[in-house]
Amino acid sequence: MGDQIVQWVAGLLQQAYALLGLSSIAGILDRVVCAVAMFGFVSVFVMFLVWMERKVSAHMQSRIGPNRVGPFGLLQTLADAVKLTTKEDVHPVKRDKIPYFIAPILAFVATFMGMVVVPFDNKVVVADLNIGVLYIIAITSFTVIAILSAGWSSNNKYSLLGGFRSAAQIVSYEVPLVLSIVPIIMITGKLNFSSIVQYQQQAGYWFVVPQFVAFFTFIASATAEANRAPFDIPEAESELTGGFHTEYSGVKFAMFFLGEYVAVVVSSAVAATIFLGGWLPLPFLGFLHIPGFVWFMAKVLFIIYLIMAFRWTFPRLRVDQLMDFGWKVLIPITILNILITGFVVLLLGKGA
Amino acid sequence: MTDLLLSQIKPGGESPFGTDEYVVNMGPQHPATHGVLRLVVKLDGETVKETMPVLGYLHRSIEKICENRTYPQCITYTDRVDYVSAMSVNLAFALATERLIGLEAPPRAQWLRMIFVELQRLASHLLWMGAFAGDIGALTPFLYGLRERERILDLFEMTCGQRLTYNYIRIGGVMIDILPEFVPKCKAFLDYFEPRIAEYEELLTYNPIFLERTKGVGVITPEVGINSGVCGPSLRGSGVSCDVRKQQSYLFYDQVKFNECLQNDGDCWARYRVRMDELRESISIIRQCLDRLEPGPIEAKLPPILKAPPASEIYSRIESSRGEMGIYLVGDGTPKPYKAKYRCASFSNTFVLDQLTRGWKVADIMAVLGSLDMIVPEVDR
Amino acid sequence: MTNEELKSKIEADFKDKIHSVILSGQKEVLLTVKSEAYIPLCMDLKNRPDYDFQHLSCLTAVDYPKENKITVVCHLWSYNKCHQLTVKLDVDRNNPKAPTVETVWKAANWFEREVFDLYGIVFEGHPDLRRIMMPEDYTKFPLRKDFTDDGFIIKPN
Repeated sequence: MGDQIVQWVAGLLQQAYALLGLSSIAGILDRVVCAVAMFGFVSVFVMFLVWMERKVSAHMQSRIGPNRVGPFGLLQTLADAVKLTTKEDVHPVKRDKIPYFIAPILAFVATFMGMVVVPFDNKVVVADLNIGVLYIIAITSFTVIAILSAGWSSNNKYSLLGGFRSAAQIVSYEVPLVLSIVPIIMITGKLNFSSIVQYQQQAGYWFVVPQFVAFFTFIASATAEANRAPFDIPEAESELTGGFHTEYSGVKFAMFFLGEYVAVVVSSAVAATIFLGGWLPLPFLGFLHIPGFVWFMAKVLFIIYLIMAFRWTFPRLRVDQLMDFGWKVLIPITILNILITGFVVLLLGKGA
Repeated sequence: MTDLLLSQIKPGGESPFGTDEYVVNMGPQHPATHGVLRLVVKLDGETVKETMPVLGYLHRSIEKICENRTYPQCITYTDRVDYVSAMSVNLAFALATERLIGLEAPPRAQWLRMIFVELQRLASHLLWMGAFAGDIGALTPFLYGLRERERILDLFEMTCGQRLTYNYIRIGGVMIDILPEFVPKCKAFLDYFEPRIAEYEELLTYNPIFLERTKGVGVITPEVGINSGVCGPSLRGSGVSCDVRKQQSYLFYDQVKFNECLQNDGDCWARYRVRMDELRESISIIRQCLDRLEPGPIEAKLPPILKAPPASEIYSRIESSRGEMGIYLVGDGTPKPYKAKYRCASFSNTFVLDQLTRGWKVADIMAVLGSLDMIVPEVDR
Repeated sequence: MTNEELKSKIEADFKDKIHSVILSGQKEVLLTVKSEAYIPLCMDLKNRPDYDFQHLSCLTAVDYPKENKITVVCHLWSYNKCHQLTVKLDVDRNNPKAPTVETVWKAANWFEREVFDLYGIVFEGHPDLRRIMMPEDYTKFPLRKDFTDDGFIIKPN
């Protein structure tokens, strides 16, 4: 049903271009409209997520959470965003101006760029790249530059330490992140997200079933990539005040904050697509005629809930234990997974 | 030496890469240091070279003030010496004065004192558990601990009207008798609370990340502990039997059955286990005291002006929630103490922080500091 | 050992090192030691198995301006034997110097710093004698009986 809605909207847009006399650049305008729509959707979704995190954490801690601003406190994030935008932009005098300015923008933009290849429904995707998986992995590495710039340019020992720790962490956890996706690519032989979902549709099972190890390592690595607990040493408030974003206030801080949530959304969307079957319904509930888009969002929310529950349940890993876990535990597990998957693929002759 | 540490960056550390040492100030206002404690930490990358606690940010000269107040007036100041565990300090001072002057509180007052001090121990350990878990990064047990602590504070409020600084245990007895509904409410609370301890343990005790952060970290060997003056649960985590309630029994602790909680490893995890076990022991003590409570007077007959005998002195110790609390009183025949010294557990326990964290990482400073259960008002007085 | 036994034993063992040992009205054993025998006595009290005072519970000072002395008071406790002892050392108020027992019990490190800070007694041999509660550049000694605090005086214009 999702692709029908998209085609209807596309038709409307063509008529709009004809009216405005812009039919010649219709292709480019289509892309721009898609990107803006995606941007708008993710922004609203992230605001919803901030509210969800506060509610989930509150109920886990036998509290209530926001319940005053708007129904069930839903407008709380909007109120916080307004507050942050109207805050004075306090910055250190001796900062390095250009990296200081670019870092939050980069953190925000880089994670958004990852959302363009994720399919929300059959053929509902901003850019159906053939190298979708590769693109996502490349884009998520941008956050390292953003964090290092923030840490260095703040002219603050704490920020520097936080920046170094974070960079080390993200770079180390890139490896198990990629390695946990490799078995999927081996089985399907495709890097295109839509094709991976179609493969799961034809095969009749979701990849989480044979590749549950890869699923768990992917979720763990994604949590570490987003600097979330239990891997949130760079932002550990109880240790070095704020880590790399200590010296940022107002909108710049909001961008880091929202960028972290967008990273979570991107990782969850990728996990939902690759491991949980994207827009496919649960095998025995396909008769309910619920649109694929709704199934996809439900899966994404489920994974996001898992990631949030991790934060409020587990203590924080120390930085050397964090590195140990990434290098000495996750990487051997993922490599073993690749080996086993390779054997199985050879034996059963699936994929390319 | 302070300015040396605070401003110097020494080139050439021991690392083969030629890293520099730098000094980080975990300043007085800090989300984790349990109050206004300043730590000047010399770091080599992530490794701690030296930790120097700078005290005095909460020095309120309570000892000097007590020299100018009468003995009953001093009791209000004792609440502020350790506001997380105020009943214990009240009791310490009241017992010290009673021993100095030669009074004894009636039995009902003694039992009541025991009940309230053990309830206070529960409340203090719950807050400690929350703060310790929060330092390690698990933010949820703090809320659970506070939830139970609220019920204990409700019990206190029912009795003496205060939730934090009680001024309840007075010289010669207690301030006011408990209400009739206190005993059933207290029993109901204990029944509600006991299974909750298992919940907290399930969340924390064998959690792999918690174990990684606390096992083997900040090991206090018995010899180092005793020599450095560590006391209380921090020393019991190293296997040393040092509970003042057992060794120099006061009130009616020799008439109730309870175990001294000991662990052998001496690391943060052992200290955590000792305090969780002490929660259970305190519940058992309170239950026994509630059963043995009999009607009677709650205050001894006191002279209108309490005077200490001239040229007298006493050093009286009790086991407060954090460890050994000693009060040294010198009397000179006047209604005011000539000298009042509060020997607080946190003061001695903070001394070993430097020894324990050398060579470890920055995150371990927080873990060790949390496990020592340090409260700044006790350190500074 | 009970306090009476402890008092007799100390009288017998350390007669030459102490000025006096008494059993106070509150049934505590109070020992006043000679200045030159302070550290050896503390070593003995800690190491000899029949005394075994491993734990330095508290080290503080009491100011007696009328007798022109400040008394350094150590409270000792034995975990194994469960007996308590108080060791006192009289220090001249005009020239307050005392030996340090930091080599005997490390716990004395911060206690002696506090006594230095609040009473002004210089402990010879202390590895790190500086103020602990008051600011580093403070010049007075607050817990002395003749301490006057100028405070924050707001002078009227």
